[in-house]
Amino acid sequence: MLESRPIFEIEGVSKRFDATQALDDVSLTLYRGEIHGLVGENGAGKSTLIKIMTGIHLADAGMMRVDGGDYAPADAAEAQLLGVAAIYQEPSIFPALTVAENIFIGHQSRGWLVNWKTMMSDSEHILAKLDIDIDSSMPAAGLTVAGQQAVEIAKAISLDTRVLIMDEPTASLSAHEVQRLFSQVRKLRESGVAVLFITHRLEELFEVCDRISVFRDGRHISTRPVAEVTEDSLIREMVGRDPSEFFARGEHPDGEVMLRVDSLSLQGKFADVSFEVRRGEVFGFAGLVGAGRTDVALALFGIATADTGTVELAGELVDVTSPNEALARGIAYLSEDRRSRGLSLAQSVSANITLATLARYTTRLGMVDRGAELADAETLSERLDIKTPDMDTPVANLSGGNQQKTMLAKWLNTEPRLLILDEPTRGIDVGAKADVHRFIDELARSGIAIIMISSDLPEVLAMSDRVAVMREGVLLDIFEKGQATQEQVMEAAVGVVS
Amino acid sequence: MSPDRIKELILLGIIVGSVATFGIWIDDYLSGRFFNRVTTSVVIVAILAAAQALVVISRNIDLSVGSTVGVAAYLTADFLASNNWANPAVAMILAMAVGAVLGSFNGLLVAYGKVPAIIVTLGTLALFRTLISLYSGGANVVAADLPGWVLQFNNVTLFSVAGLDLRLVFVIAVGVVVILQWALRRLRWGRRLYAIGSNPDAAKQAGLAAPRLIMLSFVGAGALAGLAGFMFMVRAGTISATAGSGLELESVAAAVVGGVSIFGGSGTIFGAFLGAILIDTLELSLVRVPQVSEFWRDAALGILVLFAVVLDATLQKRFTQRLSRAIRRGDRDHIEPSAIVMSPSEGGVG
Amino acid sequence: MKRGWAASHRWELFLMAILVVTIVVNASLSPFYLGVNNFVNLFWLSNEKIIVAIIMTYVIISGEIDLSVASVMGFSAAVMATVHQDSSFPFIIAILIGLTAGALAGLLQGLVITRFGLPSLVVTLAGLIGFRGAARVLMEDQSVSGFPGWFNQLGQQTLLGPLRLALIIFFVGLVIAWVVLEKGAFGRKVYVIGNNPEVARFSGVAVESVKLRLFITSGLVAGFAGVFFAARLGSVRGSLAEFFELDIITMVLLGGVSIFGGSGSMLGVALAIFTVLNIRNGLGLANVDGIIQTGAIGLLLIGSVLVPNLARRLSFGSSRTQTTASAPP
Repeated sequence: MLESRPIFEIEGVSKRFDATQALDDVSLTLYRGEIHGLVGENGAGKSTLIKIMTGIHLADAGMMRVDGGDYAPADAAEAQLLGVAAIYQEPSIFPALTVAENIFIGHQSRGWLVNWKTMMSDSEHILAKLDIDIDSSMPAAGLTVAGQQAVEIAKAISLDTRVLIMDEPTASLSAHEVQRLFSQVRKLRESGVAVLFITHRLEELFEVCDRISVFRDGRHISTRPVAEVTEDSLIREMVGRDPSEFFARGEHPDGEVMLRVDSLSLQGKFADVSFEVRRGEVFGFAGLVGAGRTDVALALFGIATADTGTVELAGELVDVTSPNEALARGIAYLSEDRRSRGLSLAQSVSANITLATLARYTTRLGMVDRGAELADAETLSERLDIKTPDMDTPVANLSGGNQQKTMLAKWLNTEPRLLILDEPTRGIDVGAKADVHRFIDELARSGIAIIMISSDLPEVLAMSDRVAVMREGVLLDIFEKGQATQEQVMEAAVGVVS
Repeated sequence: MSPDRIKELILLGIIVGSVATFGIWIDDYLSGRFFNRVTTSVVIVAILAAAQALVVISRNIDLSVGSTVGVAAYLTADFLASNNWANPAVAMILAMAVGAVLGSFNGLLVAYGKVPAIIVTLGTLALFRTLISLYSGGANVVAADLPGWVLQFNNVTLFSVAGLDLRLVFVIAVGVVVILQWALRRLRWGRRLYAIGSNPDAAKQAGLAAPRLIMLSFVGAGALAGLAGFMFMVRAGTISATAGSGLELESVAAAVVGGVSIFGGSGTIFGAFLGAILIDTLELSLVRVPQVSEFWRDAALGILVLFAVVLDATLQKRFTQRLSRAIRRGDRDHIEPSAIVMSPSEGGVG
Repeated sequence: MKRGWAASHRWELFLMAILVVTIVVNASLSPFYLGVNNFVNLFWLSNEKIIVAIIMTYVIISGEIDLSVASVMGFSAAVMATVHQDSSFPFIIAILIGLTAGALAGLLQGLVITRFGLPSLVVTLAGLIGFRGAARVLMEDQSVSGFPGWFNQLGQQTLLGPLRLALIIFFVGLVIAWVVLEKGAFGRKVYVIGNNPEVARFSGVAVESVKLRLFITSGLVAGFAGVFFAARLGSVRGSLAEFFELDIITMVLLGGVSIFGGSGSMLGVALAIFTVLNIRNGLGLANVDGIIQTGAIGLLLIGSVLVPNLARRLSFGSSRTQTTASAPP
């Protein structure tokens, strides 16, 4: 395999977003007919690399070559023409069109007419070659995610794709579907395609890949043939970040139990989750994206309703069915998705800070008491050190870190008893990160019970008093502070049996 | 069976069902005369429904079709008044050309000016109407000035079987539907129009030239509205500056009842045609039910539109679920009972 | 602070400029233009439309649309007229029943939109057709008049100086709506919902209930406008206020309210209303046909979105890195 010619070369590619160096001088070579695994923690730079390879982002520096020729696509369509395509966890299909059309839409037969007969038989031919059992004439809207991915693979074949990037394609597939996907991927390899396979599940890498590369903090750490790699060595390279850069929480007394969750289950999301959080405690949730941590949080916040199990808040059984009710009971949830669930970007800093507590500033006539609102917004913004020209500036004009702090201020203003923080430091710069960490400690000391979901391992280990690890909807283990190493937690999260 | 086909069949069923019901309810209902009346009166709305469907499938809307009908009807009539030699073909081509020019104005603004279609066509709804007023100076074109064939055109019958007349205007409308249905199914740009309406982001990724196609769909819709303007002229004879007003909403209603989703990507020209027929049949039939006031037809149409939307939404949902179940069934035995299928709700980044 | 206001109210400033130009041109065209009588006449023909435009502003800012308003105007007036004609109730009861019918029309559509999650564009299109139909069913092809004298006077006579009741209500309504939208808690929620309904939901805002209340109010206000229109005309037909919806929506969009929701101001809509009325009035004084006035408004509407779009494209170019640079990795 390795003797074959390189088909795709990346040399010294770098990319910076605002405060984050997403890729730092990365080089990588893919060969014809190889399945190349790519692993790394969240934020290691994998997504950015894909976007640069497929022409969605432009690299700040470095160059790429396809089959020896310079490669600088202006957009995804041009990348596809040059033989580079990507399949995402959520495939982008045309639901109203048939399977055959989805395969051929970008490059139907020349001329004005669609030759349905030829298209159908070509489609069936490709699907048969890949062992995909899907009716070519059916609309893609009816396909499962696995079916949609299969269609995208067929499309890649029909496009004469030379490099196929698969971004966590197995994340929403059943075990059987994963096996089927692998056999399709192996067929691609036989036909000489280079597959860049990105996954969090290590066992999949060993099952299907020829070589494996590790990324960390936007840098390329290693590339080795699969035979020279062990799960332990991979995990060591993935997690090798220095924990000393993180805020370490000092000693503090334990309070009484604030939240007790018992055997909480939600079909298709998580099962039999039990844990306790005490006042003044930071309870960490580690695991990979998609492990069900956010789903548990959403159930506690009343967005989703659990099927079975109980939730006790300060000793009282509660059944929260709406965010409004959650807020009334003193539960606040800081979403991981700042743009679509966290902040109303076009509106002012003060309007965002008081959004969840509007009733408090509403006079009997239904007017907003601007004085009281501004006073509180200013107090909070000082406390959190939010850098903004004034309280009337639209949040969209602030930097990522200050947006994150504004969101935190919104939830603090609700004076919660239980604060759930979902990826509270994602995508913000080091300074703002340190501020947020210091602040979380301060909040816990003031007696709030805090749940902190974070995919940033050193962070969650440094900040938490106890860390729960979730994988595929199951809470596997709860580690006491200082008991767990990054390796142990990562092993549990990716499912390595030790 | 695709959801579009299911919708068409349901519509056909409803049409047959209502005709049967009215047949029992009203004496002498199922006559050749009634057939002739429906096939003649449905022509304008049928053509406009096709025009509207063309635009709505690509996730846009054209509220200016009624005004386009007016402009085309007036200019064509005015031309005929001073050029009595002109034959129907010349008049039809002129009307369609006028419509296409107006449509290209809409298309330019939507596709290249990036102004939402609802705003553009709301504006041109007024603007086009103004054009006729400026041009006409408030004067009507009266039937007496038009060539003799104009007023007979609506009644030209190709052949009759047992009292059922096959009128030329109806054949033209059906021809439009057949050609467009064929074009949207067989031409590359037709399929791409569906793709753009179905998933604009993916269309962009696949390099489908959206602006040019959207431009084309508006030009096509304009030309069809022009043809409807011709039909309006031969039916009305006398053309005033308000010709065709109100038709924009009727065309949207017919397309929606015909199963064309307002969110784009779904529905067919044939469906929109059936929608127009259903609406027209109900309108003409309710008038003849003695117990029902003739004024019920708009109220009934409103309920029909609402019903169509609800049906469309539930059908779409059902269809997706049923199919995914059917496909998953094969896997069921292989999944370990404890395995939990993950949803991607934690939508993460690299 | 002042500079901030100007930066965030560019559209309003633009409308003010157009308004001033219109007023100057009109004043130079006609000696009658600047009189008090003409100022009142300005509103006379559009009084009902501009009342409905106020509530339409809320509906569009919340990310929805209500195409049914003109039909609901006709429906409410028809219900009122029918009750008046077919029963012995005092006329004030007939008015109240008419208004209730308007609110119920809004409630019905609001329920369908919020409960089934259907697009308001189509649901209220059904409402547009259906309630117009209901008005026709009630009125058939007759015209009902013979309302009590006080009712007709209410619509036709001046009440306060040169102002008629409907105009007073418009100004009072405008001020209240302005204050509630920009200073009230409800207005705040409407903006958030229009900007991002998910953020609103995650912040404990009852999105569905706010939307439902908006549609009920929209129906009620349309009912009010319909009753006023009946008072001004002195009679009710099934076709009362037909096609008004397009004029009303045009005024709101011209006021800078985004068709996608989330932005716009009452000041902008007020300015758009004054601009539209002054352009119409000026063109009218210059003996320009009403339909041509409508065309000028249509052109203004398209230009109001097209010009900023073109300006943006010229200043930014089409660099794709511009649009993606702010996305976090």
